[in-house]
Amino acid sequence: MFEKKTSSLSKGEMTFFKGGEGRPLIHLHGAGGVRPNPGLEKLAESVTLYMPVLPGFDGSAAIDGVDSMETLADFVAEFIDKEIGEAADVLGLSFGGWLATWLAVRHPKSVAQMCLENPAGFRPKDVPAPSDDPEVRKRQMYRYPDKVPAETKSEEVLKKNREMLHHYHGDTSFDEALAGQLDKIEALTMIMHGTADKRVPEEAVQMLKRDIPRSHLIFVYDAAHSMETDQPERFAHLVADFMERAEAFLVNRGTPEGRPQQVL
Amino acid sequence: MKFSYTHHMPYTGVTEAGQDWPVPNKQFDAALGAEMFNRYVEDKIYAEQAGFDWIGSNEHHFSPYGMMPNPNLVGAVVAHRTKRAGILQSGNIVPITNPIRIAEEYAMIDVMSGGRLVAGFMRGIPHEYVAYNVSPDESYGRMYEAIELIKKAWSSPEPFGWEGEYYQFRAVSIWPRPIQQPYPRMMMSASSDASARLAAEVGSSAGFLRIVDFESTRKQIKVYRDRARECGWEPQADDVMIGMNCCIAPTYEEAKQILDAGQKYFFGVLGGGIRTAQQLVIQKTRYFQEEGAADNFIAKRAVQREVSFDERVERGLLLCGTPEMAIEQITRIHRELGNGRMNLSIKIGDIDDAHVTRTLDYLRDIVFPAVRHLGEDTDPAQAAE
Repeated sequence: MFEKKTSSLSKGEMTFFKGGEGRPLIHLHGAGGVRPNPGLEKLAESVTLYMPVLPGFDGSAAIDGVDSMETLADFVAEFIDKEIGEAADVLGLSFGGWLATWLAVRHPKSVAQMCLENPAGFRPKDVPAPSDDPEVRKRQMYRYPDKVPAETKSEEVLKKNREMLHHYHGDTSFDEALAGQLDKIEALTMIMHGTADKRVPEEAVQMLKRDIPRSHLIFVYDAAHSMETDQPERFAHLVADFMERAEAFLVNRGTPEGRPQQVL
Repeated sequence: MKFSYTHHMPYTGVTEAGQDWPVPNKQFDAALGAEMFNRYVEDKIYAEQAGFDWIGSNEHHFSPYGMMPNPNLVGAVVAHRTKRAGILQSGNIVPITNPIRIAEEYAMIDVMSGGRLVAGFMRGIPHEYVAYNVSPDESYGRMYEAIELIKKAWSSPEPFGWEGEYYQFRAVSIWPRPIQQPYPRMMMSASSDASARLAAEVGSSAGFLRIVDFESTRKQIKVYRDRARECGWEPQADDVMIGMNCCIAPTYEEAKQILDAGQKYFFGVLGGGIRTAQQLVIQKTRYFQEEGAADNFIAKRAVQREVSFDERVERGLLLCGTPEMAIEQITRIHRELGNGRMNLSIKIGDIDDAHVTRTLDYLRDIVFPAVRHLGEDTDPAQAAE
């Protein structure tokens, strides 16, 4: 369903996957790289997804001069300019949410609306780091592990993906430089947090809601860190509705069948 | 030992309510109903003076069983008229009610009472689902989700939305916020394994409200305590509340006569229509999702019919007799179950209100002083294991 393409940018090439119907939506992946899943497939019924493979991830080469969150955000801004040609909607998952936030701060004219999905990068220092134990990590990642698509990436690629996180942000868990600039964000922003997410603490999303001027915080019930696989329908419905209706997504639009809802 | 006073606020102006459900309300005499409301509220206020630690109000629909479809209205009055007692809302029936409304009204009561709310989250008895046209199959799913949403509404400092299975809200920010932070104290029924586990997972105190024997109640308490430990917390003795009907009189015979007649009215007149709807729900839906839970529910009801009054007292399932007998009975229950709290229902069926007041006086003057110490030195980790 997603077509593999390549974008030639000033500092190097970047692979991306494209698919779907509707207005463009840039999806910035998490630490695991690009991972098509039921949530994204459902979302692609409403938007055209552009899913870049960030340099160094999924077996791609790192690019000289793209070695920090800031320079990576600049690189993605150039990608948007090249492939979309105007401000685009952006959705960032975890590490991708961190990156999307940098993008919105440094390139406000490149971002139309923004979704931050369990965004990393804002864990307060007094909140313990999530576990690195593989079994614990899996439980923190997925509320429903049986929904996770079969792994298609090699151990070597996965290991390299994890190393790329440090390549871009070192050991930072709370990005003070970025946190101090959240008030610069112009894009209408929706922050999504899974109620069962044990990787990103609630304090982080509360802070983002507090400091991003035009923002909405939505808790997605019964979803862990990987919301797209845990609750694909809720994820896709929420993102599509927000992207389509912007601020008006606060207002109940009734049922598609036209039958009035029963209010408890 | 701490005590909670629960009053169902029954409408006792009927002598024959029949087996139909809902019970036709043409029998309701508004003037009589008004008298009863005023009397019942005064009883609740008096319970604080009698030394009760919590005063409870609960929710039932479409029957003279209770005139309290919205217990928060009564809770607000009690909060305003009392100074010390916890305001136990036991509770709102969560799966059939808008959870944001529950969060708001509970927060109001907490603020109005100076932080005395005890927030009850109940699943309700089966017929309530017919009353509010909610599928009983969704009972547990709604319960789990709604409680998490309510806790978020109480604690989130920023406005938030909710995308769930049963509930979707895009912008929530309740006013007022409760005084008790992050959450008011909570109370849930723990009468089945599933509900005992849920109470533990939520971090709630647990009520074991219609016990049929000590052994099965001990098992339920163990389910609750074990799950709480798995969730990283240790319930205290007063987190375990045993519910019981209570009547105290100068002689056992008199107390028995009063309570037995009240219970017969309660089950025979007030409870008839409810049982009809209940059977329908239990037989035709997945209200009980655990294997054996429906059978267990029915068995509990059968105890009321098949076990004699004297035997129920003998088994420790009723608090009935002289004040001295009540002290022995409470002491025995604590010894058997390790509880630090009891929920007493005294206005059972059409028991005369003067008898209710007399029981309250016996409790205040003789019983409570003799049993207050129970539970204070109970090691929670060892209690009833």
